[in-house]
Amino acid sequence: MEKRLIKKEALTGIIGKIAADTTVCAPVKVEDNVLFKVLEKGDEPLVTFANSKNAPKNFFFPRSEVMLRYTRTTKGMEFSGGEKEVGEAVLFGVRPCDTRSFVLLDMLFDQEKYKDPYYIDKRQKTTIVSLACAHPPYAACFCTSVDGHPVSSAGADVLLVDLGDQYLAEFVTAKGEKLLKYFGDAKADTAADEKKEAIAAQAEQEIKSHIPAKAIKPILDVNFEHPFWNTIYQKCLACGTCTFLCPTCHCFDINDEMKDGDGRRLRNWDSCMFPMFTKETSGHNPRTSQKERWRQRAMHKFKYYVDNFNAIACVGCGRCVKYCPVNTDIRKIVADISKL
Amino acid sequence: MENPYIPYPVEVIKIVTEVDTKDIKTFRFAFVNKEDEEKYKYIPGQFGELSIFGKGESPIGIASSPTQQGYVEFTVQKAGVVTSALHEMEEGTRMGLRGPLGNSWPIEYLEGKNIVIVGGGFAFTTLRSLINYMISGDNRKRFGKITVVYGARNPGLLIYKDELEAWGQRDDIDLHVTVDKGDSTWKGREGFVPTVCKEVAPSSENAVTVICGPPIMIRFTLPVFFDLGFSKEKIITSLEMRMKCGIGKCGRCNVGSKYVCKDGPVFSLAELDKLTKEY
Repeated sequence: MEKRLIKKEALTGIIGKIAADTTVCAPVKVEDNVLFKVLEKGDEPLVTFANSKNAPKNFFFPRSEVMLRYTRTTKGMEFSGGEKEVGEAVLFGVRPCDTRSFVLLDMLFDQEKYKDPYYIDKRQKTTIVSLACAHPPYAACFCTSVDGHPVSSAGADVLLVDLGDQYLAEFVTAKGEKLLKYFGDAKADTAADEKKEAIAAQAEQEIKSHIPAKAIKPILDVNFEHPFWNTIYQKCLACGTCTFLCPTCHCFDINDEMKDGDGRRLRNWDSCMFPMFTKETSGHNPRTSQKERWRQRAMHKFKYYVDNFNAIACVGCGRCVKYCPVNTDIRKIVADISKL
Repeated sequence: MENPYIPYPVEVIKIVTEVDTKDIKTFRFAFVNKEDEEKYKYIPGQFGELSIFGKGESPIGIASSPTQQGYVEFTVQKAGVVTSALHEMEEGTRMGLRGPLGNSWPIEYLEGKNIVIVGGGFAFTTLRSLINYMISGDNRKRFGKITVVYGARNPGLLIYKDELEAWGQRDDIDLHVTVDKGDSTWKGREGFVPTVCKEVAPSSENAVTVICGPPIMIRFTLPVFFDLGFSKEKIITSLEMRMKCGIGKCGRCNVGSKYVCKDGPVFSLAELDKLTKEY
């Protein structure tokens, strides 16, 4: 694996150079929020930030995406399939938890049967430059409980690690190596590797939130009808914030919209927290209250995804914990389930 | 890369109003591009997404049999946005069709066995596909005795009336059509489906039951088959859930870990016992 060392103050310039050649999406300060967005002229990408408010999944799986377009003609509806393909891009500054979410989303969107061309096209053409958490930014971070690590390169093409006075850049994949030319020629020595290991060990120590996420699968297997589910949903407002901010939530709706003979079919993010999500035309709804919807969310993340893909559908980013308006805490739910 | 979200263009070539209330029609579609028909190789029990541009999509079981060449049929009740738009359509209209989707009736498992088909109301569509498949030409030899019990609330609500007539003429189908309540012209059987199943009492010897109908019918019919000695492995049904993508991605039709669209819609009772009851 190729490794380079760069001076800390050089990083912003490197991003600028990449952005001059290709589309770069990076964390940017927008009012009070840090958000991932495509860099435009004058945008200053952040290299020191905690984490973005939105998960970068919208880069591959946009909040709203055109699936096909159609036009009314004298012969009926003529339609053209799909959006025009996107170009190559670099997704810069993704925290390891969010980077890992792409590995989890790949399992769903890039299955052997039924590949999702919209997701896969963008995913394949995008190089992910991950920025390790030398110091995990939040008290709500719990990546190490769900198979993640603050200095992990899982899912990344390039991993940047802040060594204090400089960055270590590891070029994990062949796709990542295409960015080598921007990073100078100061090769990393074993001292840098050792320093990285020490930082990784320290970062792991700094994660204070630990939940028994992997232990609850066998408990969930047999407790679908447990009265515990009656205790977690009452305060839920069904706002969907947890699912919209979640890096691994992938549920979507498909809607048609038409104006003056031109129309398009869109897919839009949807949420299992919404009552309409499963409501059928007949009026029947298999999930009648927020209890069933919360059970679905917990089960999907910690049991169903494990059944189907042998992975927990949670990366421990803590967004749902931080931004839930009624302070529902998935960490507490998991801990409580472990005691059932 | 194949895009499973893009429908095949199809043309409505025939519309049959099935019931007196006129809210259930059978739509026959021909593929606009002949090569698409080749790609649309389906097995009875699968479904398709009927795709109306500007309205949306609706997942509907395939009512024709793959032995019927040149077209695909869907029997649709007028209910929501898409199905209402479909019911307004005339022959010659073009729209879209995705699929075939889902698993299917377990044809290989059914081969060599006696088959008992139980249908209620308008949930008879993929069962009709199965029946027509089994009785088509040489296929008939691959299956044992075929018993069909089909019921509707009243004679006007029976679908596929011409086919029921034709099947009744054959000596290789034991057909029992019943209505909850007849009218002045009805000369056939009266009685609920569970009661008729009890009277017909098909043997469970080397037999499989394939059942589709309203939940209330299924609830009262299952005990009849348990009493006749059918095990849960030998009773097969098809589930419905709200769907969008039809390929296990959009995340709304799961029952436990299984997606009804991709892992179903066909399940045996034994398989359903292992799932949650959230449907």
